[in-house]
Amino acid sequence: MRLGQLSRSASVLAMVAVAPLGLAGAAFANDKLNELAKSEDNWVMPGKNYDSNNYSELTQINKSNVKQLRPAWTFSTGLLNGHEGAPLVVDGKMYVHTSFPNYTFALDLDDPGHILWQDKPKQNPAARSVACCDLVNRGLAYWPGDGKTPPLILKTQLDGHVAALNAQTGETVWKIENSDIKVGSTLTIAPYVVKDKVIVGSSGAELGVRGYLTAYDVKTGAQVWRAYATGPDQDLLLADDFNIKNAHYGQKNLGTTTWEGDAWKIGGGTNWGWYAYDPGTNMIYFGTGNPAPWNETMRPGDNKWTMTIFGRDADTGQAHFGYQKTPHDEWDYAGVNVMMLSEQKDKDGKMRKLLTHPDRNGIVYTLDRTDGSLVSANKIDDTVNVFKSVDLKSGTPVRDPEYGTRMDHLAKDICPSAMGYHNQGHDSYDPKRQAFYMGINHICMDWEPFMLPYRAGQFFVGATLNMYPGPKGDRQNYEGLGQIKSYNAITGKFNWEKMERFAVWGGTTATAGNIVLYGTLDGFIKARDSDNGDLLWKFKLPSGAIGYPITYSHKGQQFVAINYGVGGWPGVGLVFDLQDPTAGLGAVGAFKKLANYTQMGGGVIVFSLDGKGPYDDPNVGEYQQAANK
Amino acid sequence: MPLLGGLLRAATCAAALLALTALPGPSRAQESEAQAVQSDAAKAPAAPAADPSTLRICASEKQPPLSMKDGTGLENRIAVAVAEGMGRKPVFVWLAKPAIYLVRDGLEKRLCDVVVGLDSDDPRVLTTKPYYRAGYVFLTKADSGLDIASWKDPRLKTIDHMVVPFGSPGEAMLKDIGRYEEDMAYLYSLVGFRAPRNQYTQIDPGRLVSEVAQGKAAVGVAFAPDIARYVKDSAVPLRMAPVPNDTVTSDGRTMPQDFDQSMGVRKDDAALKDALDAGIAKAKPRIDAILKQDGVPVAATN
Repeated sequence: MRLGQLSRSASVLAMVAVAPLGLAGAAFANDKLNELAKSEDNWVMPGKNYDSNNYSELTQINKSNVKQLRPAWTFSTGLLNGHEGAPLVVDGKMYVHTSFPNYTFALDLDDPGHILWQDKPKQNPAARSVACCDLVNRGLAYWPGDGKTPPLILKTQLDGHVAALNAQTGETVWKIENSDIKVGSTLTIAPYVVKDKVIVGSSGAELGVRGYLTAYDVKTGAQVWRAYATGPDQDLLLADDFNIKNAHYGQKNLGTTTWEGDAWKIGGGTNWGWYAYDPGTNMIYFGTGNPAPWNETMRPGDNKWTMTIFGRDADTGQAHFGYQKTPHDEWDYAGVNVMMLSEQKDKDGKMRKLLTHPDRNGIVYTLDRTDGSLVSANKIDDTVNVFKSVDLKSGTPVRDPEYGTRMDHLAKDICPSAMGYHNQGHDSYDPKRQAFYMGINHICMDWEPFMLPYRAGQFFVGATLNMYPGPKGDRQNYEGLGQIKSYNAITGKFNWEKMERFAVWGGTTATAGNIVLYGTLDGFIKARDSDNGDLLWKFKLPSGAIGYPITYSHKGQQFVAINYGVGGWPGVGLVFDLQDPTAGLGAVGAFKKLANYTQMGGGVIVFSLDGKGPYDDPNVGEYQQAANK
Repeated sequence: MPLLGGLLRAATCAAALLALTALPGPSRAQESEAQAVQSDAAKAPAAPAADPSTLRICASEKQPPLSMKDGTGLENRIAVAVAEGMGRKPVFVWLAKPAIYLVRDGLEKRLCDVVVGLDSDDPRVLTTKPYYRAGYVFLTKADSGLDIASWKDPRLKTIDHMVVPFGSPGEAMLKDIGRYEEDMAYLYSLVGFRAPRNQYTQIDPGRLVSEVAQGKAAVGVAFAPDIARYVKDSAVPLRMAPVPNDTVTSDGRTMPQDFDQSMGVRKDDAALKDALDAGIAKAKPRIDAILKQDGVPVAATN
């Protein structure tokens, strides 16, 4: 029970391949953050480590004892609305973030009943009405300090600001505006620290916000570089060798020539999802979102570089490769989902450095992350019908026009729906099994265009979306809207798959204890057997989960923590009390049953074997101590 | 080359309008919220039975200044004048939706029998002879030097914001002169950043006028009846100048700006159309007085 040394030794744990740092330039706090990430005492960044694989080497909790998991302690954030993402754990503290208005709390793992500090920023209340899909936030980042500047917690605010807080005291060290809510641009993304920079994305593609990715100096908030998703080459920050290995993906001038006129200026391509980083290639990996406007007739062309997987140099922002997954999007398949890095042997037996990315469009892509070459592109479920396949040679998807959305075509049973077969959930990769555990949406849609004439040359063009479970779900009762699967990126096969009542929106975490952990929209945290998906344990949370679990060790005890608090896009009907099934682009109808299973909440629950935790000795944190203390 | 979307091509041609109305109409209410603050399910209005001594008028509760629940809208008052000219009692059947829904959700569902303000060439309905003709105007502050009289005026490319209704010839011309991208975020800020997809969203005409009056937009372009009352009541003197009816896009297509306005009935209701024509003729002095009272600049009908 007392502190062992097992969690300290990086070499024992290094099954997650981390490439040598030789190419990474001067080694600032990057090494320190990387080292901190290797310790199983920490969960120091979204995705746990730069491979972004949500994988822990801890084995104290395992397949045979996971049913002994009980709550060890809990914390309510005091807020409702969706609680996406996960807390951070570093240096014996847990840092908790929230929905709008984006509070941050620091809790001492030895006595979490005492809040060490809290940050409650005052925000422009207009931010609430600008946000499209509930008032969520995907989490925090941590920078370990460099001796002169103290360790920092980095956060985003819905009103478009990015702030750095002193990790010890919670004081604001700097705050800058990344996104202007006066143009409909908010922030929900978790920031990402790489070396001495903090990387932040953008939101608001629905309103034509031209997407960008920005790196700021982590100590001061000064902008270092900004790369746009559309526009002239100099705005896109293309490296000279952009797509040199895959010229057929496209190279120069496409950020303008794949648009009509100036439409790229309001072209969207925001990114509000997740990043990964390889110190070996020194590239950060992420995806850009959907083009604007939604009506595809108004933006002829491939609309590059929306819907694109980018590999950009962390120091300069320059893109070495960009692969567009969904040229000329018709369905809202924002391409910002999780990027997970792994090293695996491909079908020819050659060891490859890979990135794997399950996209909204129903395809899970695996690329060689050194140059962007496609290794595999498989359907996330065999019910995907918008694309028949992806041609690995050209990289282009083969569309089925029956399931396209056009203003002269009433399309039924489009799979995936606009919510995608995979949304913002952060999945995991198990290097022992070479398996990705994906939390999936099983939702399809009808897409009905309509045109309402008015008078004096005025008219309104719109489309009504109706969403419902995919064919494997229960379409009569609006259940069976989710799946969880174990996927092999090399064979393209699924090792196992299970249906869930609602979309598995938050993602998964996997451990060397041979379990996969995840939360469900209806309010359970579950553990499944990594080998066959058997359900081993579950616990009823106070409210539905749209974030992912984390696990860490503290003084020899392994803990699992998860945010609870239903909301996000699937929760808009519940959160805003909407009745019209076509509201929320159809999400209200698809999730009409959710309110029968859960209501809003907001907080963190921490589990351990038998609920062992900081208050096992009830005198911990007591005001009146026992005699003879 | 500035963008002219496919929907623009459709909108400027009455024949195309006819083709588009052949699209399967969605059966669900369109009042759904893409993003949500409150639910707004439109309930079907209580529809009084048809009765030859009354005139059941399809009317929107939310189409200021033309039609408002208190009956003081420009076209509410015109409807009353025409009903009385016909010797019938005006009965308003109110829809809690903007007027764009009146034909589909009121008239075609037989909840009411006449829609008061439609284009005389609207192919969906049988229209009366026009009872007035009005057009789009450039709206500027009277003391600004911006005496804009044409979309060709080069100053339009360099002034600060322009404000135009969504889905209007003004928006189409804004795109044609290449400044839509700059103004888009500003226009959406006037509707709380609702990104319309299945939800009709429009800039409130009173807001459009106040944006110009307050100098937040240098020029507005709107259909004169929509803004006349606010221009008349504005403390800041404003000027409306007609947009020339022979406006042409950069690729040489005409974009009419003036429109004859009629009342519309169901296509099988020729008898009511004839009665309305007679009523309109009788009520003409009152109609003209109402238009004048609201400061609507009118042109001779075709």
